[in-house]
Amino acid sequence: MNFISKAAKKSPWIYRINAGSCNGCDVELATTACIPRYDIERLGCQYCGSPRHADIILITGPITVGVKDKLLRVYEQVPDPKVTVAVGICPISGGVFRESYAIAGPLDQFVPVDVNIAGCPPRPQAIIEGLAMAIDIWASRA
Amino acid sequence: MNFLQVLIDNLRKGPATEPFPFGDASTPAAYRGRVAIDQDACVGCRMCEHVCAGGAIRFAEDNEALHLVIWHNTCVSCGLCAVYCPTKAITLTNNWHVSHRQEDKYKQVDHVTIPYSACTSCGVVFLKAQDPLMQLAYKTVGANETRLRDLCPDCRRVESSRGARP
Amino acid sequence: MIGEFFRILFAVLVFPGGLFAIALGLLLKGVERRLVARLQRRIGAPLLQPFYDLVKLMGKITFVPDLADTNVFLMTPLIGVASMSLAMAMLPIAGVYAPSPMLGDLLVLFYVISLPALSLMLAGSASGSPFGAIGFSREMALMLAYEGPILLVIVSVALHVGAASGRGPMFSLAEIVQYQIRHGPLILDWRMVPAALAYAAFIPANLGMPPFDIAEAETELLEGPLLEYTGASLGLLKLASAIKTVAIAGLGVALFFPNGPGGVLGVVAFAAKCLVIVGCLSVLKAAVGRMRIDQAVVFYLRWPVLFGVLSLAMVAIHV
Repeated sequence: MNFISKAAKKSPWIYRINAGSCNGCDVELATTACIPRYDIERLGCQYCGSPRHADIILITGPITVGVKDKLLRVYEQVPDPKVTVAVGICPISGGVFRESYAIAGPLDQFVPVDVNIAGCPPRPQAIIEGLAMAIDIWASRA
Repeated sequence: MNFLQVLIDNLRKGPATEPFPFGDASTPAAYRGRVAIDQDACVGCRMCEHVCAGGAIRFAEDNEALHLVIWHNTCVSCGLCAVYCPTKAITLTNNWHVSHRQEDKYKQVDHVTIPYSACTSCGVVFLKAQDPLMQLAYKTVGANETRLRDLCPDCRRVESSRGARP
Repeated sequence: MIGEFFRILFAVLVFPGGLFAIALGLLLKGVERRLVARLQRRIGAPLLQPFYDLVKLMGKITFVPDLADTNVFLMTPLIGVASMSLAMAMLPIAGVYAPSPMLGDLLVLFYVISLPALSLMLAGSASGSPFGAIGFSREMALMLAYEGPILLVIVSVALHVGAASGRGPMFSLAEIVQYQIRHGPLILDWRMVPAALAYAAFIPANLGMPPFDIAEAETELLEGPLLEYTGASLGLLKLASAIKTVAIAGLGVALFFPNGPGGVLGVVAFAAKCLVIVGCLSVLKAAVGRMRIDQAVVFYLRWPVLFGVLSLAMVAIHV
């Protein structure tokens, strides 16, 4: 592990994409950032507003037909190396929206996913656990 | 200047952060997490498949057994299966360690196999009433009930109506 | 002459500009993040987090958007870092470092410290993104509002020191520091207190800290001018902002409270004073939300201008 990847492991910046989510998972993601009890900033994580600053992409929602192209466009904007995390069961399998005419998912048909965080929604600790896995993958790529 | 008082209090009380992921996280006992199925208590009634909102529970049949398959990656932890399970074979544990890498995506699966047995009379393979169901249905399971449940539906019909006037 | 040149080069690249300013600035940023987290009952990022962020950003690839002007887009981050290193070289640290007279006086410094804001504006407009353009216009409006009061502050300090030394306005920062070492810090002079307040109000706007982080508002403008930057160029912009923290805090220290011991202890005292200023900014960051741009402009054209004029008037009457 070289110098840059050592530093990178301590500084994973997060960008989240809502691909048609019901907002449940987004609320849980917000708690990991805003609520002192979970505080992912101590892992060096930081939610950033721009996809161009991101290292780890969290995708929530079942990839609706309307949002699919936009999702892929934003995904392209994230500079390599990047790690993709599917948050909630919707991007993983479609969840309760599976087989709907309005759903293009699951996510791994379109982009290479690295970590899945199951749950509907996953509790914040589960998200942190998944992020820890994602950070390990990210450090090995950086 | 109320906010200063709040800030000073915050500094004095110190961080309220859980030690997780470097330590244990507290989990409420009633937390609805990963579904667990008791292999011995399942009777194969398929009620859970019927009520499953996420389509996580599926049944499959082959010549020897009935298979219950649950894929945790599409389970919404709604708990309907646990409520409707007649023998309480399905329970929701408070296990929330559901994050996994992509290569393990299709390994988040639990199987329950309920073997078919042969009819003691005609030899046809069928799903007989399992013990938990018998205990649920009868106050006491006597020799007659046990003899009847080992028969396939056709033979049981014949057996039950024996002695009736033609 | 050649020796003087190398002395300036050393000042710009190593101490107090360049390496020293980078290390102190990043450390101050780390302290600020940590302190804000503690004030919110969080644990917060490690103290060295800005260093990790910087190293990581240096390792990432750089995108240039299709709509962007490539040269301007890639050069502007350098302007910020270079101008701030120069500004640090122009700042005296009492008992430790006196800038070469060749580097210019307070008025030159006043223009140099407005360069990073300018580079941010250029970055916003060159990136070709609507968010960058909005950030550009907001930064411009804010800059127009806060440059006036800061000029009033500088002029009143210069007039005061000049009058006390029996000369005209004294724009040499080294002389101002010398005067304060002889006669006590200016912040203890009642005529200078309004000016110090005006300067204190100017700090958060120049550093882009709440409640005046309007141009880089993360939640509404997605970091505005920084939106399109990736990798090393984003790292340079972050670096410029870190050095700017030291430079702006250092200018405040030099103008109003430079007194301190000499040698290594002097450097420590300087860092401690910067730390106090950053601590106050952290409390502000943890306590307040963001102002709207019109509120901020009205704020700057009202209170700091009032305080600046008050100070100037008192100095002028005394003269």
